[in-house]
Amino acid sequence: MKNVFKILILLFSISIFGQENEISFLKYEDLEKKIENQEAKLTVVNFWSTTCAPCVKELPEFMEVNEKYKSNPDFKMLLVSLDRPKDIERVKKFIKEKNLTAEVVILDDIKRMNTWIPRFEENWSGEIPVTIFYQNHQKIVFHNGEMSLNQLEEHVTKYLQ
Amino acid sequence: MSQNTYNNLIHFNMKNIKTMLLVLISFCISGIVSAQNTVRKGYEIGDVATDFKLKNVDGKMVSLSDFKKAKGFIVVFTCNSCPYAIKYQDRIIELDKRYKNLGYPVIAIQPNDPAAQPKDSFEMMQKRAEEKDFTFPYLIDEGQKIHPQYGATKTPHIFILKKENGKNIVKYIGAIDNNYENPNDVSEYYAQDALNSLLKDEDIKTSRTAAIGCTIKYKK
Repeated sequence: MKNVFKILILLFSISIFGQENEISFLKYEDLEKKIENQEAKLTVVNFWSTTCAPCVKELPEFMEVNEKYKSNPDFKMLLVSLDRPKDIERVKKFIKEKNLTAEVVILDDIKRMNTWIPRFEENWSGEIPVTIFYQNHQKIVFHNGEMSLNQLEEHVTKYLQ
Repeated sequence: MSQNTYNNLIHFNMKNIKTMLLVLISFCISGIVSAQNTVRKGYEIGDVATDFKLKNVDGKMVSLSDFKKAKGFIVVFTCNSCPYAIKYQDRIIELDKRYKNLGYPVIAIQPNDPAAQPKDSFEMMQKRAEEKDFTFPYLIDEGQKIHPQYGATKTPHIFILKKENGKNIVKYIGAIDNNYENPNDVSEYYAQDALNSLLKDEDIKTSRTAAIGCTIKYKK
């Protein structure tokens, strides 16, 4: 009986802990499926890394927009981290410190960059940050480089209509 | 219909037309912006690469035309500050050691504006070149005029050129290999394969590759 309790407590704590800190590691195909399966009308996918200064700089503004629209079922923001899986603790710490409220996944597919980069966008050489907008699962904007708060909001309001 | 109402109607229509025009114009502009972001600028395979005269860490100016005996070049846009570029430093030295004697020396160019990234100042470049004992020129793209012509958008970004009839022809653009993180777990040696093909006068199987890197930094 004691053991059962212990297990229950353990399971309970894992589920709470897990919810707060859960970050999925995805291969390209899983990420593609995840984007395709979004129910939102507009999905904003941002590629970033904790080691990328311009990415880190623009994320607070992305959060401003996410906070504004996240309750809207038509809107979804997905932050695709290109950090190495072994840097998971750093990513978690970063999420907490910067209060990232959008979903974060780690694209764990280093050796196949030359496969998945062109599949996201033919003319993308691999520089980050990059932001891609999908409207009803169709890629509508590929934005290479930093995005200002104004640009981001303009795109979101335009494509949410 | 009174004249007044009629005027109002015209006025209203004019307003509508103005609004429509504005919407149309902004739509066009936004279209151009998205297009600008997706259209690739710079060289395609087969283009003639420009020569340059850029300052090396030893203070001397370096041009491709200085290398009379070279069969071609491995032009690497790299820097001190980018984690991806740092991961490739040793592999760039290896490339130079292996291919310089075969006619393809490495020419490294630092494209970032030091005003935007102080770690990439000329002095810091000198320091890095000394620490790592670079066997190749490490040039600064002062004024940032050269890398946009090549179409370099990130570090590291490599361009392999071959001399043909006195011109430097672009033969390969992209990554060095397919694992920035671990040189012992590479399964695709893009740059070496391209160089080996050039040396054997064979077609390059993969002449363009993509890999994650750091955007080139500009002062705003």
